[in-house]
Amino acid sequence: MAIKFAKELSQYGLNIISGMAVGVDSYVHEGVIEANGSTIAVLPSGLKNVYPKENKKLFEKIIASNGLIISEYEDYFSATSESFLERNRIVSGLSIGILVIEGAYRSGTSVTAKLTIENNKKVFCIPSSLKNPKGYTPNNLIRKGGILVTCAEDIIEEYAELDIIKRQETDYYVKEEIVGIKPEYQEIYEMIEDEPIDINEILKKTQMSLEQVNYQLMMLELDGYIISLPGKNYRRK
Amino acid sequence: MMAKRLPTILPDLSFKEALEITKIYSVAGELKKDSGIIMNRPFRNPHHSITASSIIGGGKIPKPGEISLAHLGVLFLDELPEFNKKILELLREPLEDKTVTISRLNCSLTYPCNFMFVASMNPCPCGYYGMIEKQCTCSELAIKNYLGKISGPLLDRIDIHIEVKPVKYENLNNKNPEETSEVIRKRVNNARKIQQKRYENLKVYSNAELMPKLIEKYCKLDDESKKILNVAFEKLGLSARAYTKVLKVARTIADLEGKTNIEKEHIIEAIGYRSLDKKYGEKF
Repeated sequence: MAIKFAKELSQYGLNIISGMAVGVDSYVHEGVIEANGSTIAVLPSGLKNVYPKENKKLFEKIIASNGLIISEYEDYFSATSESFLERNRIVSGLSIGILVIEGAYRSGTSVTAKLTIENNKKVFCIPSSLKNPKGYTPNNLIRKGGILVTCAEDIIEEYAELDIIKRQETDYYVKEEIVGIKPEYQEIYEMIEDEPIDINEILKKTQMSLEQVNYQLMMLELDGYIISLPGKNYRRK
Repeated sequence: MMAKRLPTILPDLSFKEALEITKIYSVAGELKKDSGIIMNRPFRNPHHSITASSIIGGGKIPKPGEISLAHLGVLFLDELPEFNKKILELLREPLEDKTVTISRLNCSLTYPCNFMFVASMNPCPCGYYGMIEKQCTCSELAIKNYLGKISGPLLDRIDIHIEVKPVKYENLNNKNPEETSEVIRKRVNNARKIQQKRYENLKVYSNAELMPKLIEKYCKLDDESKKILNVAFEKLGLSARAYTKVLKVARTIADLEGKTNIEKEHIIEAIGYRSLDKKYGEKF
């Protein structure tokens, strides 16, 4: 979900700001880079002591994509629990609005949202199932007047005064990709959506045997049309 | 439960193998009184509280450990991440060399340990990671720490990784006829025979023991399979060790089906068994 929104918003020429943390933050940066957009990462640590360490690669990727990385700390400062919240303050301050994708009860996300509201900026939320513990913050924000969004266009509409126009060239690219699928894999490919689906569901919907389905899924994955996720789940790339 | 049934589909023991197993059990003092030669493949499943010397072998006069007692059989480690990380790393050389040398002040002994390594684990501490129906409540860090207990090199030495979905309640009493162990065993024995015939004059017993030169000779691929394998390597980032493993597994799948050549279906299936490290990101 994060990747989809990041890609679409950056196609509108928006600069996407996030915190380069594990999870949604990283997906966002990755998504923007993939869509050739521009992104800003605000670190909770010093620039020579990247937190989290796993994202060192992403750090370099952002720089290579002409992105920007900001930190208000000295080079070797290590992240503390306070610096995360201070970081969120900058994320919120730099942006014209924020999009809340997920956040548990009393999470850092809710702090960012609070700051954004205090600064009279817009807060957008993706609604989520009541059963999802990480859906608490977006749902709660919607209740308190956050703007519910279902697609990137919902956000663009709110900024009518900015005259935001979508770039065209990336659209082309997506269409071309789908044409390349071999006809024999088409049936399986169509069952797989952006939301993960598990292999048992695919098996129920088709006449094919497990071996055949496994084979086709592997081929689709190797050709780069789908991604396999933990737990034998699949989604479109 | 599934792992415990494994010995029932393993190929029959030859007389030479049976003697070897019996000898090890005799040295370990585990042979019961009046019991003759051991005719079944051993199945060992030590608890995760096991110590280094009891898994590898040890003592003043070193006794064979669990890995040697599982010689020509199965060593099953349930709940793999619960084992001490150091103990898991100890398995690396024995898995590669199929023998273990234990050195003590008194003596230095080499025991055989050509076992089939089988292990099971959860995807995260709560067990729900990757499930759509239920939400995993573990933090990223907790999952990383849990999976991180299994090191990359160890995972690399495991030929086949399979993810299993939980069984649904309505399927628990499913009475649909399924393949019995006997039928499977027949197929396995057949594959063994094919292999023994193929490697008759070489000092190789099964596909697993093939050396690089022999792999080139016996695991020939057609152009299409080669292409698929190339793409898979780029996309999945497999290691050099994984490359030979994929070929050996593909060879075995072809043998089980009684095919003389490796076809692209076999290669794809073998690649599918190696996707665990990639899927779970860099958590391992």
